[in-house]
Amino acid sequence: MIHNRTSFQFDVAPSSGVPIYRQLMDQVQAEVSGGRLRPGDLLPSVREVARRLQINPMTVSKAYSKLETLGVVELVRGQGMRVCAPVAWGAVHERQTQLRPLLEQAVARAYQLALTKAQVWAVLAPLLEDLDDE
Amino acid sequence: MNNWVIQTQDVHKGFKGKQVLLGVDLNVPHGSVVGLLGKNGAGKTTLIKCLLGLFRLDDGEITLLGEDPWTLSAAAKERLGYVPQEVSLYPWMKVQQVVAYTGAFYPRWNKALIERLIKEWELDPDAKVSPLSVGERQKLAILLALGHEPELLVLDEPAASLDPVARREFLRAILEITSDRARTVLFSTHITSDLERVADRVAILKDGKIIYHDELGRLKDSVKRLQISAASPLPTSLNIPGTLRCEVDGQEALVSVRDLNDQVVDGIRERWNATVQVRDLNLEDIFLEMHHV
Repeated sequence: MIHNRTSFQFDVAPSSGVPIYRQLMDQVQAEVSGGRLRPGDLLPSVREVARRLQINPMTVSKAYSKLETLGVVELVRGQGMRVCAPVAWGAVHERQTQLRPLLEQAVARAYQLALTKAQVWAVLAPLLEDLDDE
Repeated sequence: MNNWVIQTQDVHKGFKGKQVLLGVDLNVPHGSVVGLLGKNGAGKTTLIKCLLGLFRLDDGEITLLGEDPWTLSAAAKERLGYVPQEVSLYPWMKVQQVVAYTGAFYPRWNKALIERLIKEWELDPDAKVSPLSVGERQKLAILLALGHEPELLVLDEPAASLDPVARREFLRAILEITSDRARTVLFSTHITSDLERVADRVAILKDGKIIYHDELGRLKDSVKRLQISAASPLPTSLNIPGTLRCEVDGQEALVSVRDLNDQVVDGIRERWNATVQVRDLNLEDIFLEMHHV
């Protein structure tokens, strides 16, 4: 089965406080959850990404292998990194732990904006509608 | 084969009563691009000259490409490229003459690479060396150090006098020659943005020692600034482990820490009934935090 290499393009800010490898990981994960990268799509090669962004190839490799560990992509010999079908990796509490820092930021921001619990909930509830109930 | 291209153990070096290096330990793995970061006068050039056998050590031990740098063999020198901070070339020669002259010393010389880089870096092969600008001369010196495709390339403040365009081209050349991971690059700089793009490791030289040496990503992952907002006034000293800098103002505090983990944050939350926000720091911020007195 032949997969298309996607036209997916990374964009990084090297002088950001977020390490470049993490920026790359975040972008892949955002594109996967946003449906723009679909299971079976191939990520651009390490060499290609490093050359285009003018960053160290090791940094790209690190991002890819971490994504592999997380089960977001898998290495296909001779082809490259392929996006996996979404599966629940890790126990529920581990996945909750991953979500927690994002929510903490949101709650802190809500506090600064002087929003009440009910007001925050009114924003959050519609966003949760797409999630499964089980 | 040995996995380290450079091994440095407890290196001391001083000049006429002024101690510059006070026990430097730095091991550079094969295939890495290491940025050596330090303030002006931190001893970056001294360390580089010790590594290359241009200065004799007061104490300690260095292994460079498997040899003692003070008695480096011709074979090891063939595998080594070096661009000093102060470039001295032959002012009466033309660019192409300097290139041909330098190339003649090496059994292996990649003429095609050099010719291509001369074009890309917009050097005029027929120009005389003496009227070249500092930046152009630096470009030429870097070219000359790349011609024999050295296994280890050591650059002392290579980008300091290059304009942003030339600097980007230079960084691209570094990435190009290291893309097969067969080569190792060590370069000193005080320009953190150069380092963030190409380096996969960073070593910080301060007070005569390497105070940090690890992957750049790990550094950014572990050094963070905490914005603490407590329910009641905070003590002036918070005793948070790994504190680099701490500013307390009533119920608010800004604390920069190395080696941040969740336990540290949870500990602060519980101890002072505080909200804690974790802020990312870029390399320049981290460098400044580490030099805060």
